[in-house]
Amino acid sequence: MGTIELVATRYRPEQDVQPWEQRYTVPCSEDMSLLDALNYIKDELDPSLSHRWSCRMAICGSCGVMVNGEPKLSCKTFLRDYREAGVVQVRALDNLPVERDLVADISGVVEHIEAVKPWLIRHSTAPVDTAHTQTPEQMARYHAFSQCINCALCYAACPQFGRNPAFLGPAALTLAQRYNLDSRDEGSSERMPWLNAEEGVWSCTFVGYCSEVCPKDVDPASAINRGKVASDINYGVNLFRLLRGKSDA
Amino acid sequence: MRKPWQPQQPRDWWLHNPAYRRYMLREATALPLMLYTLLLLAGIFQFSRGEVAFAAWLSWMQTPAALLLQGIALAAALLHAVTWVALVPKILVIDSDRLRIDPRQVLRAHQLGALAGNLGLVVATLWLLWPAGGA
Amino acid sequence: MRRSHEPISWSLFGAGGMLLAFIGPGLIVSTLLLAWLVQDPQALHATLSSGLQHPLARLAALAVIALPLYHTAHRLYHGLHDLHITGPTWLLGGFFYGGATALSALCALWLFSL
Ligand code: SF4
Ligand code: FES
Repeated sequence: MGTIELVATRYRPEQDVQPWEQRYTVPCSEDMSLLDALNYIKDELDPSLSHRWSCRMAICGSCGVMVNGEPKLSCKTFLRDYREAGVVQVRALDNLPVERDLVADISGVVEHIEAVKPWLIRHSTAPVDTAHTQTPEQMARYHAFSQCINCALCYAACPQFGRNPAFLGPAALTLAQRYNLDSRDEGSSERMPWLNAEEGVWSCTFVGYCSEVCPKDVDPASAINRGKVASDINYGVNLFRLLRGKSDA
Repeated sequence: MRKPWQPQQPRDWWLHNPAYRRYMLREATALPLMLYTLLLLAGIFQFSRGEVAFAAWLSWMQTPAALLLQGIALAAALLHAVTWVALVPKILVIDSDRLRIDPRQVLRAHQLGALAGNLGLVVATLWLLWPAGGA
Repeated sequence: MRRSHEPISWSLFGAGGMLLAFIGPGLIVSTLLLAWLVQDPQALHATLSSGLQHPLARLAALAVIALPLYHTAHRLYHGLHDLHITGPTWLLGGFFYGGATALSALCALWLFSL
């Protein structure tokens, strides 16, 4: 078992004016994840280092950090893959406020996600004794988009979100698509205004990096750009309504 | 005490990640393609002015500067075509209860269409230039 | 949430991008070949003139100019935003989309007065 150099970007709001780098030497074995290394530092070397984690198995979405410039889940990232690089640079997720050390504040992202009403909306109420049935094909239509764990790696990957934090961003727009594509849902008219806005799908320029970094293969870039097609059609339909003297929808 | 550090996107953000550099290169194809379109537009103008002006435009298209621009535009057009067609199946998804088309078929169709369109145009031009064909 | 009017420019951008992918490289090779191999520019002018008699051919020629203009204007407009080069929207938008529109109008004028 060798060792590897780990450089963590520290920021302690009580003392620090700006982030700075601290170097640690950590053990490096075949089966050690970056999260293991961060926990090793916390337990054995420096209890003042702060980082987030919970499940250790790529499902809670809380351990996202930048690793050598790429957004990654630290529990799904292995030190063995960085032996060649010789050093692992870790910092808090890009494009988000840094609360402390490796902890990014994702509350803005959570607000964006909530805004698009990511839940099933029904206007007609079904009788209690029948289920809303769905064929496997209908489920396949949104299934990949429903795998999101709200880790915000895609927000760290998105330069348009970095440029303008009002942009709803990959995960929120993907969830809007996820429910709009669900055959049981009746709420797309409530979500379309969010998609149609400048801060909705139209801030996206299909950089595509969000889909590359997503640990769950959600493909948010595809979801957003399918949302552009939907918004495009919605625009045309609305134009037609206006021409016929009806009100703006 | 909360005092979050607010990061600012640096102006040169796109230089620091290979994925961003690839993106910027894709977007940059627009510049030579626009300049080439302006060349073509000039050709239409000269064409509308008559044979002499059109012949002058044709020979001007053979000057080193024009050839350089066309060379860069050709590289840009190829990069554009490859990156564009690759993204089509992610945007154009046909999947409803009535009609479902496999995204791989959508990709194949666009690849074949782009090949046919581009090669067809070149073949048509060669045919036009063939002594028996036209000019 | 205010509705964005981006669908208009995005549709034109998409049409131009599709057109450029389907015929862009071939078109550039073709004009290179034309300028290089043409023996008799007068005869070529006559051939193209008779081809452009049909209004649909003129419309196609207009599309080959106008759609790539909108496509590239859209990318450059957003590219400036990416490069942090900012200015009033009316100025930048007017320059790129307005410029593409004006040049397309000129092209239509030239083509349809042939
Ligand atoms: S779309 Fe992917 S990267 Fe983005 S929050 Fe969801 S799981 Fe994470
Ligand atoms: S610790 Fe839960 S996703 Fe990494």
